[in-house]
Amino acid sequence: MNEMELLRELARGTPLPAPADLDGARARLVAAITADPATYAAAAQAAVGQPAPSAGQPAGPLQPSAPKPVLAAAKLMYGGAVTSAAYVIATLPFLGDVHGKVLGHRLSATPLTITVVILVFGLVPIALWLWMARAVSQGRNWARILSTVLFILATLQLVESRGVAQVFCAALTWLSGLAAVWLLWRPASSVFFKSARAPRPPSQISGP
Amino acid sequence: MRRRWGSADDAAVIESSWLEPERFAVLFDRHAPHIHRYLARRAGRQVADDLVAETFLTAFAKRDRYDLGYSDARPWLYGIATNLVGQHRRGEARQYRIMQRAVAEPEVPDHADRVAAGVTAQATRALLDAALAALPAGDRDVLLLIAWEQLTYQEVSRALAIPAGTVRSRLHRARTKVRQVLAGTDAAATYEELTTNE
Repeated sequence: MNEMELLRELARGTPLPAPADLDGARARLVAAITADPATYAAAAQAAVGQPAPSAGQPAGPLQPSAPKPVLAAAKLMYGGAVTSAAYVIATLPFLGDVHGKVLGHRLSATPLTITVVILVFGLVPIALWLWMARAVSQGRNWARILSTVLFILATLQLVESRGVAQVFCAALTWLSGLAAVWLLWRPASSVFFKSARAPRPPSQISGP
Repeated sequence: MRRRWGSADDAAVIESSWLEPERFAVLFDRHAPHIHRYLARRAGRQVADDLVAETFLTAFAKRDRYDLGYSDARPWLYGIATNLVGQHRRGEARQYRIMQRAVAEPEVPDHADRVAAGVTAQATRALLDAALAALPAGDRDVLLLIAWEQLTYQEVSRALAIPAGTVRSRLHRARTKVRQVLAGTDAAATYEELTTNE
C-alpha cells in the first residue's frame, strides 16, 4: 500500500455533510443571488413574460439586465467621454494648427473657427461615447459593433496627439476604449446581446 | 422543467445564470457537499461551514468569467476553495494539530492486541498529518486534490492555474516527502489496521 492509499484512508474519516449543515451556506448564496441586479429582470420576465407597460406605451419584450462586463464597459465609456473632454481642453492650444491642417492653410482663431473646431473635433467624440455607452447597456448589438469600429478609428488619434497633456489624455481615452471593447466581446456579454436581440420565450425554467 | 437543469452540464447552468442568477443554486446543490467535505478535511468542519459559503459566493461573483469550454465546474470550484484555504493557513495548521492531538490520546479498548494495532494505525495517521503539515502549500494542494478529491492532472492544472508539468513535479515531490516520513512504518500493515479499525 502506498502513501496515496493511506491518505485516502485518512480522508474517509470525514463524511459528506448532512443537508442541514449546508443550509447556512445556501442561504448566503440565495441572499447574494437575490441582491444581484439581473435577478429583478429575470424574475419579472418569469412572472409575466412581459414588462409592466409604462404610461401610454404598449408592453414589449423585457430587456434582460446587463451583466457585469457590459455594465463595466458602459462605465468605461462614460469615463471615455470625460477623458475626451479633457483631450479637447488639451487641444485648445493647438486649435490653429488643427484647422490649418484640415483646410491646407493656417487660419486665425476667430470665435467662429474655435466653435466649429470644438464641435467637430471635441463634442462629436464625446457624444459618440455617451451614445454608445447608453446603447450597449440596453443590449444593442449594433452599438457593440459600432463601438469596436470607432475604437479602431480612434487609434489614429494617438498618432495625431502632441504635447504631454494631449498624449496623456489620448492614451487614457484609448485604453478606456480598449478595455470597453474587450469587455463587450466577453462570452457573458455576447449572451446578453443575443438574448436582448431575440425576445426570450415566456416559459422559463423554474428555480431549484 | 427543473429536471432539465438537473441534467444540464455545469457550463450550461453557469451560462444560464448570467441572465438568470437563480440558476446558480443548481451548481450549489450539485457540488456543495463534496466541496464542504474537502474543506472540512483541510480546515475543520466549523471553518468549512463558512468557507463553503465563501467558495460559492466567490464563484457566483466570478461566474461571468467562467470558460464555457469546460462542462465540469468542479476543478473551478476546488480551485476557489483551495485559494480560500490558503487564506486560512492558520486554520489548516490548527486542524492538523487537532488531528495529531487526537491521535496522541487513543481510547483504550478491552483487548490488548487491538490496543497495539490501534496505536500503530493512529501513529501512522499522526505521521501523515505531520507530513502534510510540513509540505509546502503548493505541493500539499496538488497532493490532496489528487489523493482526496480524485482530480486528474489536467483538472488540478485548471483548478490551481498551473501547468500540468508543474502538477506532476509537485505531486512527485509531495509523494516523496510523505513516503520518507512513512519509511519507518509498515505501510501495508498500517493500511490493514486503518481499514479494519474504522
